[in-house]
Amino acid sequence: MVDGNLTDSTALIRTDGLTKSYGKFLALRQLSLEVQQGEIFGLLGPNGSGKTTTIRLLLGLLRPTAGRAWVVGFDCWTQSLQVRRLVSFLPGELRMYGYMSGMEFLRFLCDLREGDGLDRAVAIAERIMKLNLRRKIRMYSTGMKQKLALALAFSDPVDILILDEPTSALDPSARGEVLRLVREARAEGQTVIFSGHVLSEVEAVSDRVAILRKGKLMHVEDMHQRRSLRMLLLRFAGEPPARFPEELELSVRERRGEAWLLEHRGELGSLLRWLTTIAVEDLAIGTEDLHSLYEKFHGPDVVDEEDLD
Amino acid sequence: MRSFVALVRKQVLESRWTLLISFAALFGLGWLYVFVTSLNEAEIFKALSSEEGDRRFRWMQSMGVMERPSTASIIAAFWNSPLIEVMVIIWAIGRGSGAVGAEVERGTLDLILSRPVSRSTYLASQVLVAVVGLAVLAVGLPLGAIIGSQYNFLREPPTFLTLLRPAVNLAALGLPIFGYTLLVSALDHVRWRATTIGSVVTLAMFIARVVSVIPVLQKYRWRDWLDRITIFKLYNPVDAVGAGAELGYNLAVLSGTAAVFIALAFVGFARRDLPASG
Repeated sequence: MVDGNLTDSTALIRTDGLTKSYGKFLALRQLSLEVQQGEIFGLLGPNGSGKTTTIRLLLGLLRPTAGRAWVVGFDCWTQSLQVRRLVSFLPGELRMYGYMSGMEFLRFLCDLREGDGLDRAVAIAERIMKLNLRRKIRMYSTGMKQKLALALAFSDPVDILILDEPTSALDPSARGEVLRLVREARAEGQTVIFSGHVLSEVEAVSDRVAILRKGKLMHVEDMHQRRSLRMLLLRFAGEPPARFPEELELSVRERRGEAWLLEHRGELGSLLRWLTTIAVEDLAIGTEDLHSLYEKFHGPDVVDEEDLD
Repeated sequence: MRSFVALVRKQVLESRWTLLISFAALFGLGWLYVFVTSLNEAEIFKALSSEEGDRRFRWMQSMGVMERPSTASIIAAFWNSPLIEVMVIIWAIGRGSGAVGAEVERGTLDLILSRPVSRSTYLASQVLVAVVGLAVLAVGLPLGAIIGSQYNFLREPPTFLTLLRPAVNLAALGLPIFGYTLLVSALDHVRWRATTIGSVVTLAMFIARVVSVIPVLQKYRWRDWLDRITIFKLYNPVDAVGAGAELGYNLAVLSGTAAVFIALAFVGFARRDLPASG
């Protein structure tokens, strides 16, 4: 099990050794993870990292080559219909029926869910997304189409939202609106899988983030822990202390000459008190965004195991 | 049930112009062949009315070699026209190839199948629209003929029910064509391949039928083989309108063949991957 991952059997979504290959090409390798109810779970990775494959496996659109996936206990392949009753999906690549008006499109897709959620979809589309639903979809811009699909996704009366790059075609204000709707969904008890490229957005809303690379799960980061992480860049005046007090939860990330880069996850007050007891020549305290973690797995220096063979 | 109705409504909406135009064409052809039959009958009557014609007819009748064909048979003989078959073939191949391949190709199948709609429900809606469409098209022909017969003189005006039998045969001809095109479409992710395979197979069977009925080729053994592989042999409007000795068998084989292909399409579609479009 990858660090940061949960092993709670009550997880809403669970995958176990989930693998998908196309001939010799492995699109997803042995993915094992769990997503809890009410959680916003971010999926991060560049194109081809396996995010969309994972989502399609969860929706039962793809058949696993090996391993299994469950949503609320339903097998994603053999019980895919039950799974899709509980899930609303926003595809990354939006293709719509251009001959339909916005209203006809919403009505058609709500009818596929036995008519549920139409009023809410219309309200979100008209009031929040400011769409003219009488216009034909072929007259919509890419961003407007994405807004229409988002209105539908957020209106579905489901337990789980799967959003594949939900903000890719949106302007900054609409992006903010989407993030607000995602948080609102969580507040209402929905579980959200948020797949994206924009690190700041994933970071802003996610409770946990999975980083994928070439179909492999590299790391799962608990964002609550990460948000409490402080980075200390300091130079000691004279000899540095031989060891740090354990209760401070300080660890050395890096040392370059006299400069020390420390990670702090503990309480701020005790750290500040400790700092007054030691001789410090220079000090900077900051936080660390997701980018540096992402770079650890996708930076230019990263070499794949298979490349070494 | 609501989702099934929504799918059917969408497919009717998407195919309505093809259906309407093909129906109008078949209706027009039905009318046209009644007009031509009326002219033919008038010509024959005129020929028989002449002294020479009458003598010849009586002589042939005495030899027992001529039985005047019924008006319905003459109309039905015109229904063997490739023009009529083409209308049904276009519909069958169009609906079959568009069922899955086209939706995968344009990326809209994700929208539907990410909703709580089973793959079998989706395909069933496609089959329903295609089969009802075939029936609607086929009805256009006798409808045109019956209305046409109100404006043209016919020796023995046929009833709608008489002409409905070859029309059912015509609709049944479209079923296996739809079936094998649907099977290819259900397993593929592009429309053109299903269209091409469906068209090539249909054309090959049509050519086989044409070759198999060339009189000078009757003595060759491979002609029998050609005759067996073509479904066009099973469309016999003249028989259907008359004694109908072959009609039951023809309908059973055409429907049975279609059922096998459609069943295979359901199995294949339920088990296949649906990768992202593009």
